[in-house]
Amino acid sequence: MVKAFGKFREWIDNRHEYAKALKERTGNKVVGYFCTYVPEEILYAANVFPVRILGSHEPPTVTEPYIFAMFCHLCRDCLAQGLKGRFDYLDGIVEGQSCLHLRQAFNAWRLHIPIDFAHYIYVPHGIQSPHAIPYLTQELAKFREALEDWTGKKMTNEDLDRGIRVMNRNRELMRRVYEYRKLDNPKITGLEAMEMVLSSQMADKEEHSNLLEKLLQELPSRQLNRDPGVRLMIIGSEDDDRVFMKNVEDIGATFVVDEHCTGSRYIWDDVGAHEDRLLAIASRYVQRVPCPSKDWPEFNRINHAVKLAQDYKVQGALVVQNKFCDPHGIEIPPLKEALKKVGVQTYPLEFDVTVPWGQFRTRVEAFLETLTGLEELF
Amino acid sequence: MSKQSKEFWRWREYRHTVPEMDWHDAKIVTAGVDIGSVGSKSVIMLDGKLHAYAAIRTGGVSEETAIRVLNWALDETGLQTKNVHCIVGTGYGRVNVPFAKRTITEIACHARGAHYIYGPTVRTVLDIGGQDCKAIRCDEKGKVISFLMNDKCAAGTGRGLEVFADLIRVPIAELGKASLNVEKEPAPVSNTCVIFAKAESVALLRQGWEKEKVAAAYHLAMVNRIIDLLTKVGVEKDFVVTGGVANNIGIISRLEKNLGIKPLEPNVDPILAGAMGAALFAKALYEKQIGLR
Repeated sequence: MVKAFGKFREWIDNRHEYAKALKERTGNKVVGYFCTYVPEEILYAANVFPVRILGSHEPPTVTEPYIFAMFCHLCRDCLAQGLKGRFDYLDGIVEGQSCLHLRQAFNAWRLHIPIDFAHYIYVPHGIQSPHAIPYLTQELAKFREALEDWTGKKMTNEDLDRGIRVMNRNRELMRRVYEYRKLDNPKITGLEAMEMVLSSQMADKEEHSNLLEKLLQELPSRQLNRDPGVRLMIIGSEDDDRVFMKNVEDIGATFVVDEHCTGSRYIWDDVGAHEDRLLAIASRYVQRVPCPSKDWPEFNRINHAVKLAQDYKVQGALVVQNKFCDPHGIEIPPLKEALKKVGVQTYPLEFDVTVPWGQFRTRVEAFLETLTGLEELF
Repeated sequence: MSKQSKEFWRWREYRHTVPEMDWHDAKIVTAGVDIGSVGSKSVIMLDGKLHAYAAIRTGGVSEETAIRVLNWALDETGLQTKNVHCIVGTGYGRVNVPFAKRTITEIACHARGAHYIYGPTVRTVLDIGGQDCKAIRCDEKGKVISFLMNDKCAAGTGRGLEVFADLIRVPIAELGKASLNVEKEPAPVSNTCVIFAKAESVALLRQGWEKEKVAAAYHLAMVNRIIDLLTKVGVEKDFVVTGGVANNIGIISRLEKNLGIKPLEPNVDPILAGAMGAALFAKALYEKQIGLR
């Protein structure tokens, strides 16, 4: 039963072997991307296999000459993977503009690691401007042309429809799995949910979706033999720290929802129908749950996080700040306030390449105690 | 002991039994064991009243330290471990306390212990421990409402003071007093890292600063860092300080001056607050077990 979760984990743990085997089997080019503002729809339309470049959580030793030490650990850890040759099977890299830190990881990679294709999509920051969608549509047209030149094959509307269908299907299936986290006793843990979404950024979407279909058939009858404990939410930027998720869920809590670009933010919005496929895709990326680097002047991400907290009956939220991630740091004060207004307490934690679990354990346990734990002892 | 090998950081380990209390008269005997990163404390309570306690330096193996500090607190009371109805473990090494019925974080325990020591008017507890510093807001029952802890470095903690005591060769118990022996408060040293602060202090000593003046600069740096943390969580009266560093007058008086709030004065060593809270939780747990609550 529910072998899917084992498979998701396997895909994450063996991401490079998986991508190499897929490349060998299909003959398709493989492209690495840094940020979820890269429209994978267009890559699937071009029969190029996208994989997300993420770190390995080892203390960085090779990035110092290329990237400022006070840039976030994600950008340094991503670049380290490239410099160490772990992504040596990549044919290209693509970045969709989000923050300067990831842009530097992209740029250092482009300059110092041999690669056939490198494309930077100027995704606008002013996403609340009426000009954002037409602007991004033009940028996507340039991306499409660049891919066509590189692959030597024109992309048809049918190709783009296929790309959109592949992505929408995968996102929709994952959102359906998320529904089971709303239950009083959720049918999946936060760690399993994280591994589901993370693996979708590393595996072929169709293969991933086929497994999700099977999982969705089995989930209604699944029983997790564990006390769910406190219903937690985890909020922050990129987060693939699976050890942290497990450790927290082992001390009397369940993450019932998240607001991460390695979680709900990646899967929440679909591409709608429009005759101009690139405009349809651009609309999705402009109107999606935003990264805080673009979430201004209105804090739409915060409103979304509050709604998630309410829909998933969250008792408390861990607000994770990746060290030196300014965009997310900026939103923490209003985020805390907004959650407080709906009765959700927050606790801040600063993540780095590695996490000091001994210290964090005390904080998380004390946070859980303040939420529910010790009432009967006063 | 030669002057060279004198350990200025070494604080006094001790135990005490409150006289005129007999455990035979008590209905419930409980213990709290607080295994901190630097010091370990144990408190024995009779029906929720302080009876005996001990404080020792934490050793390399938390289990052994827990047994040692508990046994020492029990010494001279006539009690044995088997007479204790319930034990709660707390502190950094809480999961390693043998015999503990349950572990509870030092954050909850310090708030509860501060409530016991200082009374129900306490709203803000600052626990300055060996390796971390916690600002805790609590209600009239001593229940935690919110809290914050310092990040990573031991700057602003007891261990930082121990390092500094060795550097300027002043016994740790006299360090705070020495730091007040200056005409004018100097500018603080760096407060983000113990090693940076130490390096800066060395430079000041080389420039010919009196060691009291360097101590003042070090203490002020610590206090600034602590005030940052307190400001984030918000300070509401009554304000109290717990943990070993609560005994350092150089820290306490500067906190009072720079924060503008006078901490309440304790009637018992506030290093014991965490273990006291644990012993009180142990009483509540035992009462629950035998159907009294």
